[in-house]
Amino acid sequence: MSARLNCSSARGVARVLRSQSANPLSRATATLPQISISSTRHYAAAARAAPISLGKPELPENYVSPNKPPTARRPETRKSQMIRVYTALLRSTPLMLFFQHNNLTAVEWSAVRRELKRALSEVPAPIVGPDGSVPVDIAESIQIQVLRTKMFDVAFKVVEFFDAEEAAKQSNAYTHDLSKTAYEAVKAADTTNPNTAYAQISPLLEGPVAALTFPTVSPAHLAAALKVLSPSAPEFPAPTRRKNPGYYELAAQSGLQKLFLIGGRVEGKAFDYQGVRWVGGIDGGLEGLRSQLVYMLQSAGLGLTTALEGQSKGLWLALESRRTQLDEEQNPKKQEEGEAPPSS
Amino acid sequence: MITRFITEVNTKFNPFSAAARSTRLFLSSLPANARNQGMKIDTKLLPRTSADPAVLLVKFKDGKEMNLDGAKLGIKGIIEEVDRHSRFLQKQADLNDG
Repeated sequence: MSARLNCSSARGVARVLRSQSANPLSRATATLPQISISSTRHYAAAARAAPISLGKPELPENYVSPNKPPTARRPETRKSQMIRVYTALLRSTPLMLFFQHNNLTAVEWSAVRRELKRALSEVPAPIVGPDGSVPVDIAESIQIQVLRTKMFDVAFKVVEFFDAEEAAKQSNAYTHDLSKTAYEAVKAADTTNPNTAYAQISPLLEGPVAALTFPTVSPAHLAAALKVLSPSAPEFPAPTRRKNPGYYELAAQSGLQKLFLIGGRVEGKAFDYQGVRWVGGIDGGLEGLRSQLVYMLQSAGLGLTTALEGQSKGLWLALESRRTQLDEEQNPKKQEEGEAPPSS
Repeated sequence: MITRFITEVNTKFNPFSAAARSTRLFLSSLPANARNQGMKIDTKLLPRTSADPAVLLVKFKDGKEMNLDGAKLGIKGIIEEVDRHSRFLQKQADLNDG
């Protein structure tokens, strides 16, 4: 494990510069009062005429640039950067669908993306919250992209099995995604444990795989995407020919035939196509679920109060009816008298 | 792989099982214009909990049907089996065209 070095920050550079330029700086400050008396402008010129000679700053042997921390694999390669891209994608994407794409041509891809974009743009804009804040419209950020499965696999392992905050508590070593700490944590992890999300999802990541990424779990957008990319008759019907003729173009149709949904990752958990459809079928999204819960709790409370009230109400009714009965028995005449005037 | 003589491909698999890998790879090895040339490709997905083995049924122009077990053969084995019959058909076609 590579320990973080002392001179790893800008402070290291500053220390080097300070030790080298100690003498010239002090000389400059000594001459400062005389010049500043004449004029400040002269002082500036004088300073330019006799610049502080720093020489060539020599960095210490163990100096580490603050924007190039040591890595387990060479950072400048395409694959390393791809791992960083995928770890960022996995951490920022709670809802991700995986599709297998079988030899789609470029024309077909563009037709599929066009139809997807069109369907997503028709999703109604988010509702303004109770505090007046308008949530961001995510339709623009939902994209389908082809994955490099091996690099995605490595990135997935880093996200699943490496906890940077935990590692930072334990030692002083670097904890970025390409660091040696991350590399060793992933290597030591048990990737075959079937309880981990990695072990459940990794069989999907074989062959040509594309991912549809959503920045939030929005069932409305998911339903719109499913209607285009993986329609199924009753719940997610494909757009009609009259409404959306572009969907029935040859390029779009042949592209969609070669693209099929194999699974998804929702909030870090593996879902198959049925599970994904279930998520897409939640009415009104999270708000809908909340209102359902509120309704359920309210109606449960109502039931409870009526159940509790029932006993006392029954007792009161029984007593009350008995009282009226007794009243009637005690003075039946009164009633008869009372009834008499209308009859007579 | 020679795909000229394949008329129909029926597959059924659970993508969450590692045994379905070669069946899925076979689908990806079919050419981009396979459907335009009259090949029928049908894919059925099984739910995640299902333990059924992956099914790959290939039909050829001469009517031969092949039921290939992807878990046992692997993708190379599947392609070998399919190509073996396709080469035979190719030879016949060449002789007839002559």
